Amino acid sequence: MTFSSLNITRIGQGLLLATTLTAAGCATSQPPKELVDAREAYQRSEHGKAREYNPAALHEAKVELDKAEAAFNNDPDSDATRDEAYIALRRAERAEVEANTMQWQQRQEKARNDANQNQAKGLQKAQSELSQAREQLTQEKAAREAAEVKSKEMLARLAAANAAAVKVEPRGTVITLSGGVLFASNKSQLLPGAQTSLSQVAEAIKTQDDKKVLVEGHTDSRGSDVTNQALSKARADSVASYLVSQGVPPDRVTTAGLGPSRPVADNNSAEGRANNRRVEIVIQQGEPK
Amino acid sequence: MKILTTSVVAGIGLMALACGSAPQPTERLATAQAAVRAAKEVGAKEVPQAQLHAQLAEEQVTQAQKMIEDGDNDRAELVLRRATADAELAVALARENESQKQAEAAEAALGPQAASQPSNMQATNQ
Repeated sequence: MTFSSLNITRIGQGLLLATTLTAAGCATSQPPKELVDAREAYQRSEHGKAREYNPAALHEAKVELDKAEAAFNNDPDSDATRDEAYIALRRAERAEVEANTMQWQQRQEKARNDANQNQAKGLQKAQSELSQAREQLTQEKAAREAAEVKSKEMLARLAAANAAAVKVEPRGTVITLSGGVLFASNKSQLLPGAQTSLSQVAEAIKTQDDKKVLVEGHTDSRGSDVTNQALSKARADSVASYLVSQGVPPDRVTTAGLGPSRPVADNNSAEGRANNRRVEIVIQQGEPK
Repeated sequence: MKILTTSVVAGIGLMALACGSAPQPTERLATAQAAVRAAKEVGAKEVPQAQLHAQLAEEQVTQAQKMIEDGDNDRAELVLRRATADAELAVALARENESQKQAEAAEAALGPQAASQPSNMQATNQ
């Protein structure tokens, strides 16, 4: 058998090609850096969050890595192998990054839900506090109204028993007691019989325990203003002391001596003068607590 | 030409011989350019890692365009795929950063009890 030179050349080239291809398919070739990186990146992603959050992307990354491995097996030193490995590397990294994003989104969702729950709880708490406050206001109003009713009853009884004259004026409720019933002439010591009227007055005043009480002494115009002023003050003090002794809180009571300065009747008649000789107990309006 | 045909079939690595027969990768170019735009729009420039990959993507697009001009369409196609992969990673990184900021803000708004949450978030590594 003779071979033409052309045949030998063809066979030679074929053998050379086969050798090259065999060498290319051999696993002892060094993988390019891109492929090493791609394999590592895929490993990391596989053991990271992508498995839980984003398995589809992880699968895509595996597909790309397999392509790169196939290219490496076909031709380990080619640009194509490096390119495929580079792409596989980026895909693996992206799978992990996207999984992280999903986890952050979950945390945001949870935080928002928690915030909504807190808000709802806070709202409930505020509503219940509001209800309680309203309840308290209603009770306080009822108590005040009850006290008002009670004091009105007491004052009405006072008036009915002729113990004192009771009048509602802008400055407050004014209980007027005649000087002649309370005191001996020119004296400031309370007569024994005065106590009956005054104790009823004290009871009436005690129902209004949030209000201030002003005790005013008044005289007629007979005698010197100085003497009358002193006497009226002393009488006011006596009445005030008695009221306090009956349980009216002392810090609510003030006294004043007005002498003849505010007559309610004509000082020229005996009756008028008698009317001017009086003590006025004013239960004052609208004092802030 | 018989050996030439055989080698083409047997060896993908001998791509230089196949050069000139592949069409221009116009669709891949459009995809890559769109991905680069997307990375810009999502704010990749503000996130260092994202910016890195957005830039790599842009450079590879430019490189691929030159390869197309030179007639090396096969290599251009691979380079464009690289560019797209980089741009998509840039987008993912920018979104990760944004979602982290929003989650942390939502947790901060809850108050001090949220700070005790264990954090097992790892930084993305190259």
